[in-house]
Amino acid sequence: MLDLILALLSGAVGGLIIAMMPRASSRLRNTIALIFSVTGMAFSWRVAQLVFAGESIRIAGEIGGLSWSLEPDPLGAVFGLIASTLWLFATIYSFGYMANEKKQRTYYTFLLMSFSVTLGVAFSGNLVALYLFYELLTFATYPLVIHERSLEAMKAGAKYIIYSLSGAGAILIAIVVTYGWAGNLDFAGGPILASGGIRPGLSLLLALFVGGFGVKAAIMPLHRWLPAAMVAPTPVSALLHAVAVVYSGVYGILRVVYSVFGHELMGQLGLSYVLPWVAAFTILVGVTIATQQDVLKRRLAYHTISQLSYILLGAFTLQPWGLAGAMLHMISYSTLKITLFFGAGIIAKQTGETKVSKMGGVGWQLPKTMAAFGIASLGMIGMLPLNTFWSKYYLMKGSVAGGRWPLALVLIGSGVINAFCFIPTVVAAFTGERGKPTAERGAEVSLMLAPTVLLAGIALLIGLWPGLVWPGVQAVVNWFF
Amino acid sequence: MTATITANLPVFVVIAPLFVAFVLPTFARRMRLVESLVVAIEAIGLVGAGYLASIVLMQKGIPIIYSLGGWSAPWGIELEVGSLGAFFLLVVAAVSLPVALFARGNLTEEVGGKERVTRFYVLYLLLNGALAGMAVTNDLFNIFVLVEVATLSCCGLVSARNHPRAAEAAFTYLILATLGSALVLGGIGFLYIITGHLNMGFASQELGRIWQDYPHVVWMAASFMLVGFGVKSALFPLHVWLPDAHSTAPSPASAILSGLAVKGYLICLLKVLYIVFGHTLMQEFAMHRILVLLGMIAIIAGSLFALAQDELKRRLAFSTVAQVGYIILGLGLVNMKGLTGTLFYLASHAVIKSSLFLAAGAIIAATGKHRISELAGIGRKMPVTMAVFTVGSLGLVGIPLFSGFIGKWYLLLGSLDAGHILAAAVIIIGSVLCAAYLFPIIRVAYFEPVPEENWQDPGMPQKIALILLAVGVVILGVAPGPFLELASRAAIELLVIK
Repeated sequence: MLDLILALLSGAVGGLIIAMMPRASSRLRNTIALIFSVTGMAFSWRVAQLVFAGESIRIAGEIGGLSWSLEPDPLGAVFGLIASTLWLFATIYSFGYMANEKKQRTYYTFLLMSFSVTLGVAFSGNLVALYLFYELLTFATYPLVIHERSLEAMKAGAKYIIYSLSGAGAILIAIVVTYGWAGNLDFAGGPILASGGIRPGLSLLLALFVGGFGVKAAIMPLHRWLPAAMVAPTPVSALLHAVAVVYSGVYGILRVVYSVFGHELMGQLGLSYVLPWVAAFTILVGVTIATQQDVLKRRLAYHTISQLSYILLGAFTLQPWGLAGAMLHMISYSTLKITLFFGAGIIAKQTGETKVSKMGGVGWQLPKTMAAFGIASLGMIGMLPLNTFWSKYYLMKGSVAGGRWPLALVLIGSGVINAFCFIPTVVAAFTGERGKPTAERGAEVSLMLAPTVLLAGIALLIGLWPGLVWPGVQAVVNWFF
Repeated sequence: MTATITANLPVFVVIAPLFVAFVLPTFARRMRLVESLVVAIEAIGLVGAGYLASIVLMQKGIPIIYSLGGWSAPWGIELEVGSLGAFFLLVVAAVSLPVALFARGNLTEEVGGKERVTRFYVLYLLLNGALAGMAVTNDLFNIFVLVEVATLSCCGLVSARNHPRAAEAAFTYLILATLGSALVLGGIGFLYIITGHLNMGFASQELGRIWQDYPHVVWMAASFMLVGFGVKSALFPLHVWLPDAHSTAPSPASAILSGLAVKGYLICLLKVLYIVFGHTLMQEFAMHRILVLLGMIAIIAGSLFALAQDELKRRLAFSTVAQVGYIILGLGLVNMKGLTGTLFYLASHAVIKSSLFLAAGAIIAATGKHRISELAGIGRKMPVTMAVFTVGSLGLVGIPLFSGFIGKWYLLLGSLDAGHILAAAVIIIGSVLCAAYLFPIIRVAYFEPVPEENWQDPGMPQKIALILLAVGVVILGVAPGPFLELASRAAIELLVIK
């Protein structure tokens, strides 16, 4: 229990400490941020370890007749692991990327605050706690989105808030309805609505939930805020808009499917035949739009939209293999996507190029960066030595097991389009005029480069040895099936 | 001794502010004394209200009845401190104390002259007494008298600033509010004609027996009441006086007008509808449908109007129109959760809106700027004020851990219990719109370049007042225990009658 509290608090405490020290040197500030990111990570690992060992950790309370609880289960533990590990990488990357930026205090304060809130989403034990942290995440990340303070950033921020709050509103109504029907909102005792069986309006409730969480999970057509939010600094885009914030939406949908409805009840709803196709649509259209974008970060954003729906597709198959694929993709995709974003950030910072069409030859200037970028690009296709191969494999297996083999074709087709998405960029980067790798020297670049290369390495490692993450995936699947 | 005090407390909390109000002008030359006296009487009121509430909570719903002059009802006038009365008394006292504390600051500049300050306080206490009276009265004619006292003192408060715009706003308010009073009086008259009682309990019993003989009279009475109190509580589209009145009044007055005065009329409406008519009769006459519909319209329209305002206080004033919509909507739900929600929302909005208006007042006093677009960077210059404003905004939007959320949660539960899916959707849309009109202020204040001017947080008493209100918002959101208990008890009692 203490581990859980410390894991949750470390980010918030660190953020507050940084906020209280307006005159601290950036060195001191970075040290504090590092210390608290590491503590947060260590304790989340500890929590995950306990959860996988089968211990139950529970903190609960009541506000005005509404009981809330924090009680991580395997799914929450996996999300917590992903978020806390990647948070550390992004924090270190930020030391390099933000070195010469203004408003560092605000940046690190809210970066750490969002860390706590994201872990809160992961470890929530009922819908009330989930809603609370989900809502708070919007506000904790808002200052990071508008970090530039430009007109474009402000517009993006407004869009982000309005989209998120509307989604949260839909979720709130859905929670109230669920509460009215089941009288209980805890995840622990099996699916909340399962005992009630089929009743009219259940599909509508599911649509409300999926629509609400779908805003942050960027299901088309609810995705518009995500490309706009790319005005944020790169580490924020990488961490929040490829992992933490969007995963909180995905995580919410996973919760709704497996903890609120349960796969058996879901299977009896007509809507469950439609939802995989909504995901499939987003997968194909998202990646197709991505190939048309010239600004690298926008391309990455649309690509994120597409990839998130892989996870949703796996969840919507309602098959153990599909869920396994979804969990594996949650782990694998996040490592690769952060690598891609980090690479894009280094390119933008060191060469000033943000457009894909002008990146010819940057590979010679930034060989290590582009090598990592290339590995991650291959991963996005689902090539074998990389971790996404396995997730795609299980996603297809789940689709076929559910008797929906056309979905497997969608995944293959998306893989092909993915090849057009980033590979030409990598190829172009290494053709053209040979420059000298001068842009990769200096302490700041090293701080950015190290996490990038390390993450690409981790992706390779998981790809070669999927047994590394398999126990976690298996625990989640066993928990729900 | 204690027994005497306890026995007379229900009348004391009403009479004390009224009495001090009349004594106050004799000390007009000694400003500090006047201010201290007002704060002291508010503090005593809070203690009294808290004590009454605790007694009511301990008695588990048995109300404290006080017969004025020893004449028991139906001959005499009766005061009744039940769960509802104790709840609203507590709200009135809890909000008016910080507001009185805040008023010690720059009221002299705001109202223009020392002698006007005393006048302000007299009206303030009169309003306070009238609101406390509305909480505890159990008599229809008393309601009219209290409504009139409140209306006239509100009118005086609106015109307290020495400014032509204030005079104009007060005049508009006077005309419309008098119309409202006339309608209320008419409604009371109709009820008296057919029931022969002014005591609410007796009138209600009689009405239950005879209403079928006089359906049209009951219709008339109900609609007169609804429109009359609707005008006074700024129910859309009868709100036209409110934006001018609440934005031109001095800030403490705006806080009390938006936070409490409007709520007083809503409590009167609630009493008339649920105690005199009773929920069965209300449903018989489709009042609940009308209320839900009017509430929904008010939420949407008020929010949209608020979005369009650039002047800070006007935006807050229109926001009140929208928030009154929530309470009216809740009144129409006619079930336990909906009523609990509406009462809790009423309390929550009272605290939040007064904190917002006071923060706005502090900002305007420090900077002299009225427009939101001119407030860039104010959050860095006035951290306490803006922090309070932020807490209030989060509460009004209904973010969990702040008071508005619990009110909205119960309203949502209630509207789904009543089968009003659309109402639930409107409650949510209202929250999003609320975010849309409040967050830009916070954004401008924190995330835009900090100005050069030397703007500062207000003095200590104001800071304490602001922080007290912000703490109230958080406490109501995190540990609403006794408040929610009182509200749900009141809801049960209102639904049990008949």
